[in-house]
Amino acid sequence: MKQNNKKISRISQAVTAILFCGFLAGFGLLHVLLPDRTFSPVENRTLAQLPEFSWSALTDGSYTAKLETYLEDQFPLRDGWMGLKNRYEYLLGKREFHGVYLCGDRLIHKIEDAGRAEQNITYLQKLTELTDIPVYLGLIPTAAEVYRDALPAGSENFDQAAYLEKVRESVPDAVWVDIAQALTEHRREQMFYRTDHHWTSQGAYYGYGALMGAMGEQPEPLGTPETVSDDFYGTLYSTSGVHWLEPDTIERYVSGEGVTVENTEKGETHGLYVDSFLGEKDKYASFLGGNTPLYIVRNRSATSSEKLLVVRDSYSDSMAPFLSRYFAEIHLIDLRYYRTSVAEYAQENGMDRIFVCYSVENFVKDLDAVFMGR
Amino acid sequence: MIFSSLPFLFFYLMAVLAVYKLSPLKLRNLILLLVSLFFYGWGEPVYILIMLLSIAVDYVHGMLVERWREDDRKARRAVASSVFFNLAILVFFKYWDFLMGTINALTGLHLPVLGLPLPIGISFYTFQTMSYTIDVYRQDAPVQKNPITFGAYVTLFPQLIAGPIVRYKSVADQLENRREDLEKFVSGVRRFTVGAAKKVLLANAIGQLWDQSLAAENLTAAGAWLGLAAYAFQIYFDFSGYSDMAIGLGRMFGFEFLENFNYPYISKSVVEFWKRWHISLTTWFREYVYFPLGGSRVPKWKWIRNILIVWTLTGIWHGAGWNFLLWGLYYGAWMLAERLFLGKWLEKLPGAVRHVYTMVIVLIGWALFAVEDMGRLGAYFSSLFGGGGWFSPVDGYRLRTYLPTLVILAIGSTPLMGKLWDRLGEKARAVLQPLLVLGALILCTASLVDAGYNPFLYFRF
Repeated sequence: MKQNNKKISRISQAVTAILFCGFLAGFGLLHVLLPDRTFSPVENRTLAQLPEFSWSALTDGSYTAKLETYLEDQFPLRDGWMGLKNRYEYLLGKREFHGVYLCGDRLIHKIEDAGRAEQNITYLQKLTELTDIPVYLGLIPTAAEVYRDALPAGSENFDQAAYLEKVRESVPDAVWVDIAQALTEHRREQMFYRTDHHWTSQGAYYGYGALMGAMGEQPEPLGTPETVSDDFYGTLYSTSGVHWLEPDTIERYVSGEGVTVENTEKGETHGLYVDSFLGEKDKYASFLGGNTPLYIVRNRSATSSEKLLVVRDSYSDSMAPFLSRYFAEIHLIDLRYYRTSVAEYAQENGMDRIFVCYSVENFVKDLDAVFMGR
Repeated sequence: MIFSSLPFLFFYLMAVLAVYKLSPLKLRNLILLLVSLFFYGWGEPVYILIMLLSIAVDYVHGMLVERWREDDRKARRAVASSVFFNLAILVFFKYWDFLMGTINALTGLHLPVLGLPLPIGISFYTFQTMSYTIDVYRQDAPVQKNPITFGAYVTLFPQLIAGPIVRYKSVADQLENRREDLEKFVSGVRRFTVGAAKKVLLANAIGQLWDQSLAAENLTAAGAWLGLAAYAFQIYFDFSGYSDMAIGLGRMFGFEFLENFNYPYISKSVVEFWKRWHISLTTWFREYVYFPLGGSRVPKWKWIRNILIVWTLTGIWHGAGWNFLLWGLYYGAWMLAERLFLGKWLEKLPGAVRHVYTMVIVLIGWALFAVEDMGRLGAYFSSLFGGGGWFSPVDGYRLRTYLPTLVILAIGSTPLMGKLWDRLGEKARAVLQPLLVLGALILCTASLVDAGYNPFLYFRF
């Protein structure tokens, strides 16, 4: 018996040593043998490549630092390891992953006041002073507000409702578009993607509805959706590292027939949707075609002959299809890239209305809202 | 390079083990020296020069002490010169800016502040090399005539950058002659893996809770105490995990280092805490400072002076900042109080009360230690005693999300798991050992691949 135990113990020692060395050396070897990747779709970033050796880089320590980053970025099964880490932390009770809350099957971005919340309000006031064209103000609360009760109890959360109220009171000369209320009323439907920070087409529809209501117009009915993608993993999926959720579906409600979209920077004209993005990581960019300084959306068979200027972030991309049914011409400018006075632009291009439409998340950190105040 | 990193685990360690184990016994110290220099040079290649200089200077001093064995005055001078050299590089790299900044502030002078990066592990290896000449002088260990063997001692990568501080006499024999077999290797693997898990899976995780407390705009008392508890766990699991890894690596290469921690958080007095915390440092100060000053076998006022000297030094050893000095004196004061009168009172109290008493002192000590800016330290103390309110929903959220981790950490701070392991039958251990090692490795790898968050707390010391 004693002899037997000794033998078992000896085998155990050998197995332990082999597992330890085999695991470490094995993955080290795999690392060398497997080809390097240039881009990680899961993390949505380019990965570090093998650094070039030079004596100067070696002596100042930058070579070894880069080599370390390279070894981390190109580690075999990188995505799988990260998923395992987050699952294990989830089991230990963690609900916040790299600034994203996991709430059931939904990821919600944590919003923080990035220090521009107060100042940007003054630019809105200034805009209403600078122009005679009616200004509509529609700030979009994020999922952290609309699905507030899904957040982990007690977790930190910027009070968007209070902020919206403050904006509304501070800018009395603008027409308030109550998007928050519209989204909250319909919160049982899917207002936001579960793995992306944007609103869904449905959410965008109710945003459009709120604008129509504020203009005293009747919104058109939602209609029936066409599903164009059922494997959309959005930005929150990437930043959180929570990789076990089901993908989102992307739906379209407006066919876009007869509607043209001009991308002035690229000098291209295409339809409401750019389908090639559906095959890429950033599938949301299939609405209009992603971030660009200026889009002009034209619809000859629109209900009205009005021209609308949208001061926008990317949330407007999925709302534009609904707006195109009413407005003959919509100019969507993104102040991050199109750095010009909003009031002057609206004047020069004969706009009938100005619609400032930002998500709260972007608005409290947008550094270019200053162009609304010029 | 740090142990808990992908390059170390998957490339450096495996390559070094292969080369080391395949080479003849005679060459093994040379190989250790070379790979240790590589290890040291990884982050700051230029500082290899300091290391080489250190080896050369201390080697020569050892030889001088030996040569002047018969002439005590000269031998003492050699020791003094060695100590001076080691302290000089330590002071230059670690305290220069702090000293100059202080002098400038006091006098209005503009003495130069250099802003040099601290050579990794300098606080550890200068203390080790000082121990060498002193041990040789005291004839606690023979002089090392082989510069390669001596170089291997100074640079030995397992304990090079964060301890334990290996006094020369405790490894002198092993440098020449050490047993290496499968059993020792595997006990090293086990110890290393335990240390890696403590550092990567536990210390890093709870460290985030401390960071949140420190960054909070309005910190309640509950949040502040929770933050301190998080820091206490973080620094213990980080540092003792590192020591475990060092001891484990040492065993893989045939060395047996002394223990550095012995469950400090089960202590029932401050004196006991310091017998269990960072043992290699307290032993060093005891042997090379406290005893030479006369220890406690001197008139009472001298003994009080000795204690205060040792604790002042212990404080500033941890960093060039007023808070570290304060932290050292804080412990010096508690040591004196316990030895003079408090200890007698404590003995009459139940164990649980003594434990709570010790933990409160230790936690407040960590606040002094961790918050280096004096203004923020004041604010933190105000929070601890309700200056920012007592409780907020955010505290509840943090407590809930970290509760399982905190429970694991609390259990891990006691000898319970070790006792359970010993209770298991030999068969159960034989089956569990490889599984646990592999499981821990897998989780650590996952954590390291994911982590931008992998700072080592004891790097700066």
